[in-house]
Amino acid sequence: MSLQDHIDGITVDRDEGGLLDIDREKAVALAVFLVPGLTLFGIFSVAPIVYSVFGSFFSWDTFTLESFVGLDNWIRSLTDQLIIHWPNMQELRYPMGALTHNLLWVVIHVPASTFLGLGLALLFADLKGRRFLRSMIFVGFTVPPIVIGLVLMFIYDPRAGLFNEVLRVLGQEQWVRNWTQSPQVAIYALIAGGIWVHTGFSMLLYSSALSAIDPSLLESAKVDGAGAWRRFRDIIWPLVRPVTAVVVIMGIIWVMRMFDIVYAAGGAAGGPNHAYSVLGIEVYRAAFRPPIDYGMAMVVALVQLFIVAPLALYIARMN
Amino acid sequence: MVAITLENVSKYFGETVANYQVNLQVTDGEFLVILGPSGCGKTTALRLIAGLEQPSEGAIYFDDDRVDGRSPSARNIAMVFQNYALYPHMTVAENIGYPLKVRGFSPDERDEKVEDVTSLLHIEDQVEKKPGALSGGQRQRVALARAIVREPTVFLLDEPLSNLDAKLRQEMRSELKRLQNELEITTVYVTHNQEEAMSMSDRVAVMNQGTVQQVAPPQELYDRPRTAWVAQFIGSPPMNLFQGTRRNGSIDLGEAGTVDLSGVLEAKEAVVETSERDDVQSTALLASDTQGTVSLGIRPENLTLASTPPPSGNVIEGRVDTVEPMGEYILVNVSVNDQIVNAKVSDRTVSRGDRVYLTFDTNDAYVYDTNGDLVA
Repeated sequence: MSLQDHIDGITVDRDEGGLLDIDREKAVALAVFLVPGLTLFGIFSVAPIVYSVFGSFFSWDTFTLESFVGLDNWIRSLTDQLIIHWPNMQELRYPMGALTHNLLWVVIHVPASTFLGLGLALLFADLKGRRFLRSMIFVGFTVPPIVIGLVLMFIYDPRAGLFNEVLRVLGQEQWVRNWTQSPQVAIYALIAGGIWVHTGFSMLLYSSALSAIDPSLLESAKVDGAGAWRRFRDIIWPLVRPVTAVVVIMGIIWVMRMFDIVYAAGGAAGGPNHAYSVLGIEVYRAAFRPPIDYGMAMVVALVQLFIVAPLALYIARMN
Repeated sequence: MVAITLENVSKYFGETVANYQVNLQVTDGEFLVILGPSGCGKTTALRLIAGLEQPSEGAIYFDDDRVDGRSPSARNIAMVFQNYALYPHMTVAENIGYPLKVRGFSPDERDEKVEDVTSLLHIEDQVEKKPGALSGGQRQRVALARAIVREPTVFLLDEPLSNLDAKLRQEMRSELKRLQNELEITTVYVTHNQEEAMSMSDRVAVMNQGTVQQVAPPQELYDRPRTAWVAQFIGSPPMNLFQGTRRNGSIDLGEAGTVDLSGVLEAKEAVVETSERDDVQSTALLASDTQGTVSLGIRPENLTLASTPPPSGNVIEGRVDTVEPMGEYILVNVSVNDQIVNAKVSDRTVSRGDRVYLTFDTNDAYVYDTNGDLVA
């Protein structure tokens, strides 16, 4: 077949609507590849969310849908003192409600683990043995959070615990206590543990962001006369800003979904008298511990989702 | 403006010797180019002057001030990096104004100076853009602007043109030269490109393996390369070096012929006197009873090609290997004693396989001893 014949053949194809055929084929192929993924996404993500939204407007008898009750579940849940405890909040006394506790995690844990991670990444950037140090810090993040919770129990144990032992060595006997069971301080003890774990994650991200900065930029700033602080403020900080966004948002998502550490330390009640309960704990208890309140479980889970979803969406759409 | 002095400066990175006993003087307002192949330590030398590295041994002076040990910002230098090192998150104006901002200039002063320098470099219309939106040449100009905006006493450039295309490189070369003339800032410029070095510099320091081989004005560097290495590094194509044996006042090049050494020495007498050492050695070379290995150097442009043996003078015999027409000249590669010799000729009279005779003027020949030092 000569080249001319070949070209003629192509022209004929096109005349017969070849382009449309190709598009249809492409569409079929796309669909074939998309269907398995979309099915799973639908069954395990979309359907439960839709079902929860739907179910949150009905009354439940254990796991059986009963009658439409409008916003009843929502009002009942959001005014429940287990979720938001206004009187205690005014007196700064724990428990303050699971949602408040979650937000406290956000306010303390997220900035602390972010800045600690950045600080360690900067510290390790030019250090000998930085790989070893980095691995040691990051190992914490690879441990399942439920194990972290148990480790924290040991660390804070009044007699055998490392933390109290350190206090004794430092001569601060008056501070020795069972940290995870003292309502006014327990949540901070757990947040400290959470920071320890999550710092490894932010340090790792910052480390790679720092190594991506062209060293000649920092040298140029040095030549321009900038000291260490100015180099950090004017060059490093703006250049790692995308990573900061990821670290902060991932941190918020991580603490909003917090369950394991709290469960390990305080059980399904979330500590003595729910002292450091979080939303995840409340969902679990409402759904699986008698008296079962499925409507409330759905509402609280949706509250969690409404806080986390926009953040996740923001990260997913970042360049 | 200052003069820069490097005194026995060495720099070691662990086992690696980057610079070894470098001695270098840059006079006030001079444009000095450090030229050398990659890995010769030229960039390290520049970074030592900048203060981005501290010498392992030796001293660096700006005028009479000893500056080694001081930070870059305490030396009032400006540096242009090979990749420009523009701050990607700042606009062009912010980039250029940054050294001023760090040094506490008021915003008004800053704007005024940035305006001056951007108009000097013809980038007034780019000031609001980020570096990412600029072309290579524009980035280069911004980097230059940032370097000169605060009127440094020393201007350091690390291969600033190597990321530009050929045409732009040519343009920026003359622009840089013009700027340096106007500003009269002591400038040290590092490059591996000998064309840049020759065309822009007042003097060139040729470096190899961490040491300075020769410091000289460009023409002298070409006319009197002090070592065989410099001779082969400067010039394109490089100088031809023939290995030969010195015997009875002449150089024996084996089958290719013999070159009368006294002729070469006499022709060079006037110049050789510049150094006592050379004088002694060239006299020793003339002594007919001594023997030894020497290299005879002749530049491709100084060789003449003939297809019949000339009646007199020094002749080197060989066979044409390839002929490369280059436009302005024709490059003939001649095989002499299994060595390829380049000759630049103006017309094409020979072809592959021809037996040819290379002749040259004794004025244009150089003799290097076994150490590679120039003796005549």
